Amino acid sequence: MKDPTTYFPGDSLNEADPPGLSAFRSSRRAFIKGVIASGAVAASSGYLLSGCAPGEGPAAGSVERLISLNVNGRIRRVDVLPNETLAMTLRYKLGLTGTKLACDRGECGACTVVIDGMTNYSCSTLTHTVGSRSVRTIEGLEGPDGELHPIQQAFIDELGPQCGFCTPGQIMSTVVLLERNPKPTRDEARRALSGNLCRCGAYDHYLNSVMRAAEVI
Amino acid sequence: MAYSLIGKDFTPPDIRGKVTGKAKYAEDFSAAGMVYCKMLLSPMPHAQVSNIDVSDAMSMDGVVGVLTADDVPAMDGAAQAILTNTPRYVGAPILAVAAIDETTAADALEKIRYDIEPLDFVLDPLQSLYPGGTNAQAAGNVASMGIPLQEIKWTARDFASADPDQFPMTGKAVSEWSYGDLEKSFSEAAVVYDESFVTASNSHHSMEPRSAMSYWENGKCFLFGSSQSQSFMIPGLAAYIGIEPRDLVYIAEYCGGGFGSKGAAYPIMALPAHMSKKIGRPVMMRISRAEEYYLGSNRAGFQGRVKLGVASSGKVTAVDLYIVQSSGPHNGYPDFNSAAGAVSICYQPNAMQYRGIPILTNTPPGGAQRGPGQNQIAMVMEPLLDKAARELGIDRLEIRRINAPNNDTIFGGRQRAVTSAYQTEALNKGALAFNWERTKKRSGERNGSKVIGVGVGQAYHSAGAAGFDGLVRIAPDGRLHIHSGIGNLGTYSYAATSRVVAEVLQCKWENCVIERGDTRKHLPWNFGQFGSNTSFTMSRSNHAAAMDARQKLLEIAAAEFGGSVDEYDIGEETVFSKADATKRLSYAQAAQRAIDMGGKYAGHEIPDDLNPMTSASAKAIAGSGLIGVAKDNYALDATPPALAAGFMVIELDTETGRFEILDYNGVIDCGTVIHPLGLASQVKGGAVMGIGLATTERIVYDPQNGLAANVGFNQAKPPSYLDVPSTLGTDAVNIADPQNPMGIRGMGEPVMGCAASALICAISDALGGHYFNRTPIVPDMIINAIAERKQSHKPLQVYTF
Amino acid sequence: MAKDMMTRFELYQPADIAGALELAGKLGPDGWLIAGGQDSLDWFKDRAKRPGAVVDLSRIESMRGIRETDSGLEIGALATVTEIEENTLIKSRYAVLADAASRVASPQIRNVGTIGGNVCQDTRCWYYRSGIDCYRAGGSTCYADTPEGMNREHCLFGADRCVAVSPSDLAPALVVLDASMVIQNKAGERTVSAQDFFIGPDTDIERMTVIEAGEILTAIRIPNTWAGARFYFEKVADRNTWDFALVNVAAAIQVENDIIQDIRIACGGVECVPRRMSVAEDIARGSAKNEETARLAAGSAARGAVPLNYNHFKISLLENLVLRAIRDS
Repeated sequence: MKDPTTYFPGDSLNEADPPGLSAFRSSRRAFIKGVIASGAVAASSGYLLSGCAPGEGPAAGSVERLISLNVNGRIRRVDVLPNETLAMTLRYKLGLTGTKLACDRGECGACTVVIDGMTNYSCSTLTHTVGSRSVRTIEGLEGPDGELHPIQQAFIDELGPQCGFCTPGQIMSTVVLLERNPKPTRDEARRALSGNLCRCGAYDHYLNSVMRAAEVI
Repeated sequence: MAYSLIGKDFTPPDIRGKVTGKAKYAEDFSAAGMVYCKMLLSPMPHAQVSNIDVSDAMSMDGVVGVLTADDVPAMDGAAQAILTNTPRYVGAPILAVAAIDETTAADALEKIRYDIEPLDFVLDPLQSLYPGGTNAQAAGNVASMGIPLQEIKWTARDFASADPDQFPMTGKAVSEWSYGDLEKSFSEAAVVYDESFVTASNSHHSMEPRSAMSYWENGKCFLFGSSQSQSFMIPGLAAYIGIEPRDLVYIAEYCGGGFGSKGAAYPIMALPAHMSKKIGRPVMMRISRAEEYYLGSNRAGFQGRVKLGVASSGKVTAVDLYIVQSSGPHNGYPDFNSAAGAVSICYQPNAMQYRGIPILTNTPPGGAQRGPGQNQIAMVMEPLLDKAARELGIDRLEIRRINAPNNDTIFGGRQRAVTSAYQTEALNKGALAFNWERTKKRSGERNGSKVIGVGVGQAYHSAGAAGFDGLVRIAPDGRLHIHSGIGNLGTYSYAATSRVVAEVLQCKWENCVIERGDTRKHLPWNFGQFGSNTSFTMSRSNHAAAMDARQKLLEIAAAEFGGSVDEYDIGEETVFSKADATKRLSYAQAAQRAIDMGGKYAGHEIPDDLNPMTSASAKAIAGSGLIGVAKDNYALDATPPALAAGFMVIELDTETGRFEILDYNGVIDCGTVIHPLGLASQVKGGAVMGIGLATTERIVYDPQNGLAANVGFNQAKPPSYLDVPSTLGTDAVNIADPQNPMGIRGMGEPVMGCAASALICAISDALGGHYFNRTPIVPDMIINAIAERKQSHKPLQVYTF
Repeated sequence: MAKDMMTRFELYQPADIAGALELAGKLGPDGWLIAGGQDSLDWFKDRAKRPGAVVDLSRIESMRGIRETDSGLEIGALATVTEIEENTLIKSRYAVLADAASRVASPQIRNVGTIGGNVCQDTRCWYYRSGIDCYRAGGSTCYADTPEGMNREHCLFGADRCVAVSPSDLAPALVVLDASMVIQNKAGERTVSAQDFFIGPDTDIERMTVIEAGEILTAIRIPNTWAGARFYFEKVADRNTWDFALVNVAAAIQVENDIIQDIRIACGGVECVPRRMSVAEDIARGSAKNEETARLAAGSAARGAVPLNYNHFKISLLENLVLRAIRDS
């Protein structure tokens, strides 16, 4: 058996490329190219448009694959497929795995990120539609020396999370809420976070966290 | 008893990762050269697959391998295989393709040619029991844990003896028990109710889909999975993979929700291990939401009938209960038996008869879901008890007090005793906080189209086990390492029970390190993290190991300074002479002495009653400090119960069938409270899940083709922020249990059932005591009931809107 | 089963409507227009729709914004549902639309989803969404309209081979506001009333709007007619977040001296199009705005309904919502 070498636990996937990951990426890129050349696109039942057959390969006027994304205040050059969602780009191209995929259908909010000050389901956003807008993820909240954002601290103090899988999304929705409405009522907070599902049912503790954060900020 | 840590809030060490996004769930891991696998799932509810041709798929650029049923272990009886050529539900995995990216894997699946022959399928257990009815598996229609696969049909006479809308009570059961004189006890009842009922199945839909990643290195299989449990997963997973447990390295630092569906080894987790072995590369299996629906388990649905007799005093005299369970096509989980035990303990009937039978159905595999059985039956029984209270003119809280279990309780077919039980206290505490006397008067209060409903509900689950191991180490730097193999399902109970060790050894929490989440951390054999057991079970085993470490500290001090161990004590992370405080060793010094002394002190000699997993872990860390290791041999001669009471008031809109929950208060009897904030979070979270169970969540299949109508969240309908109160009340009885060294019992399951049944009772109350015979109660049913229109579904119909 | 990776497609991001129309003409049936993409991406992930090219309209500035005009309001098709929910003009003059917007899906969907996308979204029939070959998907069966079909969420009116319903919360509000839908094509612009914008299976079983291939919904105009009227919107769904209406109702009522001068009521979730409650309106018009009128009108709401096996509760629900729309507005 080929040695699969090491895995990259924990934080090493975050900002800088750990050794080995770049090799993984380049093989992915090389492969993508190959498929586009030989790809067979199945017949479509598109209903909005009428006309000719699919083109072969990248067509004139289609999006450039290599784009710049403004993520957590940094410009990141990244190779993005036309059919790639922002959640996929963040998680698998930029290593920002704090953004979670739980439904991949824009129904649960685990993938919530902030784009130009508004919450988005990153699983239901094509990365190419982001353009020059700023993207903030859970990884962008900590201070330069790893100090927690007051919202993060509040979520700890109130024991907000249970299993934690929806927590990054809950926190990103809280970030936007408190930017737009620094002193929300509990009911306003509840509405602002209502697009974030929690199967553990930790809503009450999350709201306690939000209200505590609102006091501190 | 005053504790310095137990009963106090703390910051669990894993929570920072959750709020920063650094917590690594299975799919967040990666490996160089990793490829991705995707599964071909059955489009039919029961079929035979043949002539699989993967050549076109394999010839695609980037496709690196295919795994079929031939590559994985075949399973005995009704058990589920990892892959199968005889899919028995829509969504059953047939094969998997690995490719260099997920899109290519998905494209490759579309290039695979195979023949698939539809077989007869069955969704409704009663149809399977009917003479000539379809079996979900060729070899039979009945199986469960401990019940071998077999065929059982009821007779036409059985069915004919009951009204078509009633559940037939004479068919053969596979599980039955009784106690007391049933006939006499029913004759002593002032009221007797006889109700057929249906409780719907619902999906677990944990937020984290059960993704897994695996690779092999130096003959060992590395597996990153999503599980509630840690050590408990190992034997089963190793078997699925086909290796010895010692050759499995299992990493599960975080689990994004399981609710019973990830408590023990499950077959699909082994798929990437098999694929990786076959193709020689690391394999990531990212599970989609739809796949999580199909593979992620669901709560068993019930069709049943209950006869309940209540004396004019309010005392439950007799219960006759029959449950047919829809289990999915494999062994499922014996909810039906648990339901019967719950009825027996919660209502203490003088006589009870129980019969049950699990029926295989061509629906996704069932499994344990939070309060499996107990929580379904709570929603059946509690409103029925209200019916009796109304008819007998007894307060609804009072009738529950009259029948509440206490320290003298015995229950179930084996007439087991309980370690302790304080349900009356739970009811009283809840009633006080809820202001029952005043609130109940609001029942039926009208405001335009809206009407107030008030409900109280109860639920039960057993709350712990014995016989598992604890392992702790005091390192030469003085830090206390607590090795926990329990797992991390998100309740923080792994941490709360670790504090038992710190409490016993009087160690500062900041100086403790919890070793967990990875086989390589040398973990002891612990029970799985499920079934409300962790707080009880794990605090016992941790206590045993801590006491062993304590004893060794005293012995080391006695060896150092002379005299007997009785002359020494511990405190402030030192062991010292009670007579001469200058004779004192810090834990760091004692740990170094332990290393120097070797033998049992350093873990070279260990008790011989330990599980081999614990022995191996203890040996691995031997010589690195003072080792405390022991099996929990504390006495346990009764069932530790977790009992809960929930109080709810709702405002139901008679014009829309919708309601708003105005107030909820949940109280748990779980012995000593170990972690107040964690407890509150569980009581509240349980209530949220209970609200979904009672009113929004159900699984529906099209009987024409077996397709599921509730695959995604928007159709499965778990409650959102706006479907539950934004503030929920909680409390605990907080009376120590005598059979746990610190009085602790578990609590996770009944806090869901008590809320679910309180809501069912509140809806019923708002409608003047209408008994629905079915859960969940959806707006359709409420609107139809108010309009006095027939319900859309037939009375015993299952998997239906 | 359980697909989740989109097929490959080219992505175009035209900067103006002319560019989009040109692409639409060039790409033909292989192309797909997306605005917020909140419905489209699900279809792509399910591989039930496999466009070779996707045209992202989100960079067309002229399709954004909410503008006051002499005759009322013009809402760009790319205005997000959140923008509509929070717009002060809409809140003060056309509250029924803001109320409806506030009940759409979830905050994140509302932040991205557009009014154009909301009214153009496809039906939510679970059979159709499963990707099976029903009439609407080009096949020859309706699985919902069979003796065993699980059709709780399906229609009471207008069944024609297909029994799917309109899922939109904004559509009934636009109908009662008498909005015009501005549609551009290569030949220029045409406007269609909101009422006529939506089509049933009897007109075209594979589409839910009048938009033809090569056309783009660019804006929605709301006339002054109903500005400041009394409004009512209510959505009844199983959940209060991210759910589709079992039935929703929108109403606009002009009242003078307690007499209903004029009234428009439309309901979603009961037909493939937002259903105008014309008979109820006729009963209410000219009558006192009170419970009696409301009951009389509501009694007519379900006339002609043909319930399916699992949705007869919608009859009571529809009647009750029409009752409330008149009584409680």
